[in-house]
Amino acid sequence: MVYMGQNERATIQAVLAGDKDAYGALVVRHSRMLFRLAYRMTGNEADADDVVQEAFLRGYQKLASFESRSDFGTWIYRITVHCALDRMQKRRAEAARRVGEEADPELDSVQVADASPDPERLALSAEIGALQELAMRGLTAVERTAFVLRHMEDRSTEEIAEALKVKPNAAKQTVFRAVEKVRQRLVNMKVMA
Amino acid sequence: MKHLNQEQLVDAYYGGKDGVAERRLKRRLDRHLGGCDECASAYDTLKSDLAAVSASDVPERAADYGAQIWSRVAPLLPPRPFEERRAPGMGMWRGLSYAAGCAVLVAGAFYVGTVWEHYRHAGKTVAPAPEQAHAPAQPKVVVVVLGDHLDRSERLLVELKHADSDSAETAPLKDEARGLLAANRVFREDAEKDGDADLSTALSHLDKLLTGLADHPGQLDAAALSQLKDEMNADGLLFEVRVLRSKNPHRNAAVRVIARGGTA
Repeated sequence: MVYMGQNERATIQAVLAGDKDAYGALVVRHSRMLFRLAYRMTGNEADADDVVQEAFLRGYQKLASFESRSDFGTWIYRITVHCALDRMQKRRAEAARRVGEEADPELDSVQVADASPDPERLALSAEIGALQELAMRGLTAVERTAFVLRHMEDRSTEEIAEALKVKPNAAKQTVFRAVEKVRQRLVNMKVMA
Repeated sequence: MKHLNQEQLVDAYYGGKDGVAERRLKRRLDRHLGGCDECASAYDTLKSDLAAVSASDVPERAADYGAQIWSRVAPLLPPRPFEERRAPGMGMWRGLSYAAGCAVLVAGAFYVGTVWEHYRHAGKTVAPAPEQAHAPAQPKVVVVVLGDHLDRSERLLVELKHADSDSAETAPLKDEARGLLAANRVFREDAEKDGDADLSTALSHLDKLLTGLADHPGQLDAAALSQLKDEMNADGLLFEVRVLRSKNPHRNAAVRVIARGGTA
């Protein structure tokens, strides 16, 4: 069945009427955008894939509460933010539990993209990615989310506030705190280098 | 001249992406930065720091990435999205139906009172007919099909797997678990009698999870949900139920009659 030509409202109506396959069109359309967000938030490809999958599952379960006048992309984007946030908090809780038991080299290493065919570019990309990851590692899950949404995803304070379900002023403060922490870590890294 | 603090510098950096008030603020800050070397220098440092953590390369996904995700998501979806929100006006209709129900109860009580007074004054006693007085309460009889039971159980396990601590989401899970318990016990006993070890084991496992879910006191918070899923190995059980459904379809046609509130 082809749904791509139909508008999203009609597709959503079809899903709500029991046509599960129609939901596939929405999944296909928005997956890449959600992966980009999830990867930036989690910093890990496997986690990002899981987050995308989880977001679409939650989206399906909550589809009846979707306001048809809003945009599905924006709605599922917010769900993805929450899924990624949950994933990050879970990962941190697991890591905290492991402290004192055994050091996990997987967690301490930084995952970098390996898609580039050019070794020099790959090295540079890996270096930049590692630097960014280290700079952002001191952030809490919420701070990282706010920072990614603001700095990398170009979202406004209002959008960040809605995604995090906080007041705009709180969202702004979280971004500010994140920026300060990132800068402090960058300074520390320069000192150590 | 008062210099800009760090928060204002960050406002100046990001403010252009916000609403009218923030854009106005940014213009004011930009004007200050244009005329204050000290603040301009601090701002340049901020820009340089943030440039070091600019949007990183996101690993490429294959062109059919969306289709790959769909192939993983599709088998996990229940037949229909949950009905989380009532249609507009439902609250009003529900209120009206409560009011109508109350009115019927009051009218009924008035009628019964009138009849009672009539008999009392006539010097008669009201006694139930012997057969009515001794008739046992009729339990509600429900026909259950094993295939449907496994379908419903699978749906419950999928919902449990993806449930968060939102009480509005978890309350239906407890109700559904209670609804499945009686049928599950009947089919488990049948499986034991028939010597069907796979089915019996899976249903026994399911029985424990349903009981744990149904009898859980209060709301299921995140910790309780997680504990329940881990203790009961809900993921493993979901797999077992799926295998049972697909492995032997004719067995799923088994039909039993159960009495709600009673026994099979």
